Amino acid sequence: MYKRAFKKVILLSVVALLSFTLPIKKHSSVWMIGDSTMCQYDSSRFPLTGWGMKFEEYFDSSVTIENKARGGRSTRTFISENRWQPIVNNLSKGDYVFIQFGHNDEAKNYPDRYTSPEDYRKNLIKFVSESREKDAIPVLITPVSRRKFDANGNALETHEVYSKIVHEVADKYKVPLIDLDKMSRALFQKFGPENSKLLFMQLQPGENPNYPVGDNDNTHFTTYGARHIAELVLNGIENLHLELADRIVKNKS
Amino acid sequence: MLFAFGERNKITIYLIGDSTMADKEVKAYPETGWGMPFHYFFDSSVTVDNRAKNGRSTRTFIEEGRWQPVVENLKEGDYVLIQFGHNDEVPTKKSYTTPDEFKKNLIKFVTESRSKKSIPILITPVARRKFDAEGKIEETHAVYQQLVKDVAKQLNVPLIDLDKESQELVQQFGPDASQYLYNHLEPGENPHYPEGRADNTHFSELGARKMAQIVLHDIQKLNLGLAQHIRVVHQKEKK
Repeated sequence: MYKRAFKKVILLSVVALLSFTLPIKKHSSVWMIGDSTMCQYDSSRFPLTGWGMKFEEYFDSSVTIENKARGGRSTRTFISENRWQPIVNNLSKGDYVFIQFGHNDEAKNYPDRYTSPEDYRKNLIKFVSESREKDAIPVLITPVSRRKFDANGNALETHEVYSKIVHEVADKYKVPLIDLDKMSRALFQKFGPENSKLLFMQLQPGENPNYPVGDNDNTHFTTYGARHIAELVLNGIENLHLELADRIVKNKS
Repeated sequence: MLFAFGERNKITIYLIGDSTMADKEVKAYPETGWGMPFHYFFDSSVTVDNRAKNGRSTRTFIEEGRWQPVVENLKEGDYVLIQFGHNDEVPTKKSYTTPDEFKKNLIKFVTESRSKKSIPILITPVARRKFDAEGKIEETHAVYQQLVKDVAKQLNVPLIDLDKESQELVQQFGPDASQYLYNHLEPGENPHYPEGRADNTHFSELGARKMAQIVLHDIQKLNLGLAQHIRVVHQKEKK
């Protein structure tokens, strides 16, 4: 009897000691909200890859990535289709919300997606403030660039108006910002007009059985491109010194 | 009974080989074996079972008991894709296999596959990225790729000359852009490789997909029954 109690005391002391010496990482979810450049794809559409699919490969087991991005969605339709509210309901303290929209908000030729600049701003503010109400950490991301070069081989700005709005909301509400638009444009510039095609869904007819007539897409990424974009976002997390950076898996070389 | 009926029409493609073909652990990404994207191109009647392993030669693959379980599982109509050489051909590696042994082991894979009424396919070892001063790609598997061809001829085995075809692809990319096909990373670019990487043997996602596409096209050209199980997609032309 006495012996058993003694054992218990020892065990408890060990647990108490461990809890001081080993900082036990608290579990966090990273909720990703956005569009087709970020979302999951079925393997039947391979090599089409959203950058969220590669992003999730770089975190330790204390992080769960919840990629809720959907193709074709703007901030407006993401909310109106009731995709945002269930996330708010599930947010826990210390969770992250990564917000990347713009491609469909700015598309005037798709009235069913289009969101005016004022509404876009309002929706971003909604994502930010409702995340914070649940003690979650919102991170704003400017929309990843499209591949567009001028005749002199300069990578061109493709989200001028909507990227600026993301910046303004981040400034005003002191939200951590990853300027993915700018970073991705610099990446495309580094690859150059020709080699940057390797990052995008540019496939020759007959090259890939999933795309028998080929593809010529300057918006959506191959697995290779999606990984490069994910790398930029991971670098952005490091540069912001978010606590999340400590949970990125870094191998020793 | 129903279950057995369904199973009869199922085809398994076994991949046996080395790191250039193998599935990778997530922490090694973006290094990618060509067997990884190879999964994505077949209809639901086909299962790709990638048994390739980093660092293995024909000899160590057999010695470690990796071949016998494949043989035991093989059934009529299955395929065995065989690609070795990188670790057989290096005398300084523990995995070194003499040319004679290499041939003997390939013959073993072929005959034992056939004894189970499966269809072996021999694949020459995929190219390394190595250019001469004039920017011409160099043959890096001269001896061992020839042995694969010799065995294929001797036993009348379908052959995919991946060494030659991947060299052509790497040449087409050229000395500079061909780095994109392999696991080349700048310092600080990727958390899994903090100090960067300049690997001219193992592939990026891009290189792995391109190599898988070569193998797939050759399966079509060889007129194997397997070609009928490559997924047919009806894709709309984009405007």
